[in-house]
Amino acid sequence: MPGQHLLGLRARPGLGRLMAATRITPLVHHQLRHSSTAAPRRGPGPLTLTLTSAVALTLGLSIGTLYGRLTSPSKPLQLESHGPNSTSSSLNGPVYAPRMEQLHAAEEIARLLGQDAVAYDEDELEARGHSDWSTSNSPERAVAVVYPRSTEDVVTIAKICNRRNVPMVPYGAGSSVEGNFSQPHGGIIIDFRRMDQVVAVHPEDMDVVVQPGVNWVELNKRLTQQGLFFPMDPSPTATIGGMVSTNCSGTNAFRYGTMKDWVVNLTVVLPDGRVVKTRRRPRKSSAGYNLTQLFVGAEGTLGMVTEITLKLAPVPEETSVAVVPFRDVKDAAAGAAALIRAGITGLAAIEIMDERQMEILNKYGSATVKQRHWAEQPTLFLKFAATKETIGPDILRTERILTEAVGKVPFEFARTKEEEHALWAGRKESLFTMASIRPEGTQMWSTDVAVPISRLADMIEWSKKECSQLGIFASVVGHVGDGNFHVAMMYDPRDKEQTAAVERCVKGMMKKALEMEGTVSGEHGIGIGKKGSLREEVGEETIELMRRIKRAVDPKWVMNPGKIFDWK
Amino acid sequence: MARLAAVGGALPRGLAAQRSLRLGSSAFARASAGVVRFNSNETTPHPPPPPPRRPGASFQGQLTQSISQRLERERADLERLARVRKESPVARNFTLTFVLFFVGSVSWWLGYKYPRDVDPNSTLPLSATKPPVHKTAPVNLEAAWADFVEIVGQENVSTVDTVLQQHATSEWSTHQADPAHKPFCVVFPATTEEVSKVMKVCHTRRIPVVGYSGGTSLEGHYTPTRGGICIDFSRMNKLVALHKEDLDVVVQPGIGWEQLNEELAPHGLFFPPDPGPGACIGGMIGTGCSGTNAYRYGTMKDWVLSLTVVLADGTVIKTRQRPRKSSAGYDLTRLFVGSEGTLGLVTEATLKLAVRPAATSVAVASFPSVRAAADCVARVVADGIPVAAVELLDDDQMKFINATGSTTRKWREAPTIFFKFAGTPTSVKEQVEMVSKLAKHAKAQSFDFARDANEQEELWSARKDALWATMAQRKPGDHVWTGDVAVPMSRLPEIVEATKKDLRASGLTSSIVGHVGDGNFHVILLYGDKERKIAEECVHRMVRRAVEMEGTVTGEHGVGLVKRDYLPHELGEATVDTMRKIKSALDPLCLLNADKVIRIQKPARGEVTDW
Repeated sequence: MPGQHLLGLRARPGLGRLMAATRITPLVHHQLRHSSTAAPRRGPGPLTLTLTSAVALTLGLSIGTLYGRLTSPSKPLQLESHGPNSTSSSLNGPVYAPRMEQLHAAEEIARLLGQDAVAYDEDELEARGHSDWSTSNSPERAVAVVYPRSTEDVVTIAKICNRRNVPMVPYGAGSSVEGNFSQPHGGIIIDFRRMDQVVAVHPEDMDVVVQPGVNWVELNKRLTQQGLFFPMDPSPTATIGGMVSTNCSGTNAFRYGTMKDWVVNLTVVLPDGRVVKTRRRPRKSSAGYNLTQLFVGAEGTLGMVTEITLKLAPVPEETSVAVVPFRDVKDAAAGAAALIRAGITGLAAIEIMDERQMEILNKYGSATVKQRHWAEQPTLFLKFAATKETIGPDILRTERILTEAVGKVPFEFARTKEEEHALWAGRKESLFTMASIRPEGTQMWSTDVAVPISRLADMIEWSKKECSQLGIFASVVGHVGDGNFHVAMMYDPRDKEQTAAVERCVKGMMKKALEMEGTVSGEHGIGIGKKGSLREEVGEETIELMRRIKRAVDPKWVMNPGKIFDWK
Repeated sequence: MARLAAVGGALPRGLAAQRSLRLGSSAFARASAGVVRFNSNETTPHPPPPPPRRPGASFQGQLTQSISQRLERERADLERLARVRKESPVARNFTLTFVLFFVGSVSWWLGYKYPRDVDPNSTLPLSATKPPVHKTAPVNLEAAWADFVEIVGQENVSTVDTVLQQHATSEWSTHQADPAHKPFCVVFPATTEEVSKVMKVCHTRRIPVVGYSGGTSLEGHYTPTRGGICIDFSRMNKLVALHKEDLDVVVQPGIGWEQLNEELAPHGLFFPPDPGPGACIGGMIGTGCSGTNAYRYGTMKDWVLSLTVVLADGTVIKTRQRPRKSSAGYDLTRLFVGSEGTLGLVTEATLKLAVRPAATSVAVASFPSVRAAADCVARVVADGIPVAAVELLDDDQMKFINATGSTTRKWREAPTIFFKFAGTPTSVKEQVEMVSKLAKHAKAQSFDFARDANEQEELWSARKDALWATMAQRKPGDHVWTGDVAVPMSRLPEIVEATKKDLRASGLTSSIVGHVGDGNFHVILLYGDKERKIAEECVHRMVRRAVEMEGTVTGEHGVGLVKRDYLPHELGEATVDTMRKIKSALDPLCLLNADKVIRIQKPARGEVTDW
């Protein structure tokens, strides 16, 4: 009799709810048998009523909710909606631990890795929180810097930070320029300077296994005796970890491609502390998703790279350099386009420098550079790398092609190693020369766009015109071989109007590059500085897809937050 | 007692009745107990009922009488109560069940809707997966068919059995497809918008989708293991735009690479990846293919600038515009290349192009052993001689070519290297000389190079015919298995020799062809139905060897259904779990080419062979 059920339940308010619920049946029997003689019981007041309803509600609620959650399917993919989905940590975005809590995390790391592995020193934090080179810096600073020595150390750090919701910002050499290592949400900086070992060199497989703190210049010095080299050549201070994360390149990209083409595998510590190795060491593979190249260029937002296997190239038997001044930028770009189309195998780099740059070389260049007088015209710097027999014909062919394309040009090429060195120094020193003549208090804004080769001349000309209207120093340096160039502008950050004008000009350049089916970043990455431009380049849907990947791999959004794109 | 009466009076009142009833029964229990206490002043749980006394005696007698009368009345009430109670359990039950059910379902709904706590894991292990739920009931599929017809027109939706068979598996696939695994229908869209609409229908109706272009893949890539529909891109075979100056071309996925190169030839350009004849760009992107040109030009992923992709919910995205290089955001382009249609359907691709070399040549060198041949290749690679291709054919392969007689000349039946050179006439000449020197150094038994285009063609034809020459050795009923692994270059001679020894021991007819410049090679195995097991084991051992030598289980053919259980051994569980997490983020309903590349559901017992 169900009526008795409730009676039994109600008459024993002293029993635990669950007990009451499970023991209903024996109670009922007892009640039935002794109904006339049972001991006196309290009356069914409103309290018992409430309790019963509460029990029913609680049971229903808990079982229902639990079951509901268990059966709740992963939400179908709907990129348009920004609503809740199965992997978001909350509707309003990630919630990070307050600064005190972040400090506790650092202390916990120090306990596990040793006190010397963690630094709280303000200078050290400042040095990693702000860069004069960078176009964007955030005012916030991290609470600590940690210096891991091994992948296991990084695992420890990741586990602690992920558990405590502390942002992790990996740091290599700090040579990036878009605020890629800023800490807009505070957190902990993971500085890889102590992980700077070359783990293994496999000359016969032409690859090398390194840790992220290895500097590429040092690496190449070590590899010379094997007759091998690593072709990427970004800023001389850059380390491999950062180079992987920004998908860097440099002057060699025309011949050798960009970073992503040179990474065989990566060992990555995921935000939750799991370690993945994306591949073994085959030169090519079609096995599974290409995680290697997903992490290359992810700017540390998906995980921390702790070991890298890089492909190597044989050092070319013979190299040479040619320098060719042109009447104007348009001619120079046309010449470059003709060279690209010709498919000269010996041509390794095609670089452009505008007349302002050449002027600076003449005025402020180093002794090596000042040995000769540079024509103050837009100039192409060409690098050749080939065998002894083919390099001569390649240089001659290059000259012929340039003449065919734009008419007779003064074509000068190095005959000796010294000449080669002196000529290339012009290109190499341009950025530093420019930086050294920078007036006190001014900053340099170095943009980075890439467009299809045919649009390059228009793009450079347009950019130059825009910049000249600003009335500040601006000049163009570019890797025209792949349609990529930089405009360096000097501005006074204290002058709000000027800063705003420069910013507008840069935005305009991005817009123009996109109109020409280009990209807002050829090699510097997005960081904080170009988030808006990226959205314009690829569209909200594509960004949402990137977000999905980020949310899947980093559900708590703790890896280098605030870079490339935002939560919403 | 008054309470009891009051309760009794309230009885007939509708809903409140139940509550009152409970009160009544309880009150009864208390009332009788009270009586007992009145009589005996005891608290024993089972006192005997008071004996009835003769009426009309003393005050006590009267009291007792009145009490017993009351008791009788109560008993009558109770009987009445019991009668009423007999009628009401249904209603009471119903209400109770209803309340519980209501509360339960409301909270189930809440739990279902409310976002789950954040799963702090970066990976999705197989053990945490839930089998995907697809709706492949005929009713749903037929309704979807009507939708497809509306989108692409009736002539572009096929349910003809031969067409379905053709989109289920192929003769050269190493995967033995279950005959039940075939699509419900094949849809032939013509535009990205149509693909998007079809995908939206499938997303709403939860119908699995498999993309199909050339159908030349080998590892069961397009076998529809979960039924559903097949989207065939053969109508999307246009060259959309050629940008000669920028060295790129925009194409649809259904265009074949041979056709593309024909169209590019007049412009002095070409697209370097050269997989099996018949392959289309869509499938080439799917498998991350390559071919003989990979040594010089790299693989498919190096030649794709941008992709237009229809995602699992029908959203169309474009990964990039047309710059030659970019560091803007995640490299989605290369995530889709090689994802075998499990993350999205490629509907347009911008491909990089290379300038056709001014001069080419071919040289052929035979060696006493595979090791000697590999040594020669290693030197060529280490010296950075920019040869266009380096291909190894083993002695068996050369024997089969001779046996077929498809080429005009007789070949030395020894391990042979085919070199392709490309560049300017002078550089080609120089390359040939350098390679010839290195070959002699590596104890080559012969070195021939082409002096003109005809000779070139003739020499290279042997390499081109390799697969057909081996297939010509088939006895009736034999099948072919093309295995594919890659190892670091220095390990190549070791793995080729070990594999050859193993193959000889197995007694199967086989040959080895390799893109040795990048450490990648294939075995071509012929087997009868009875020898399937032997062939499987041979390939399995070869794959294991490759993994042990820090290689990969597939250099260019992809994973499909056949090699997915090898992946954890090559890459580690955590890596595969990361891939699975990405798959589930991009395609939570598992609609796109389900079961390929990575398992999305725990395998049945015995489904996975031991490592």
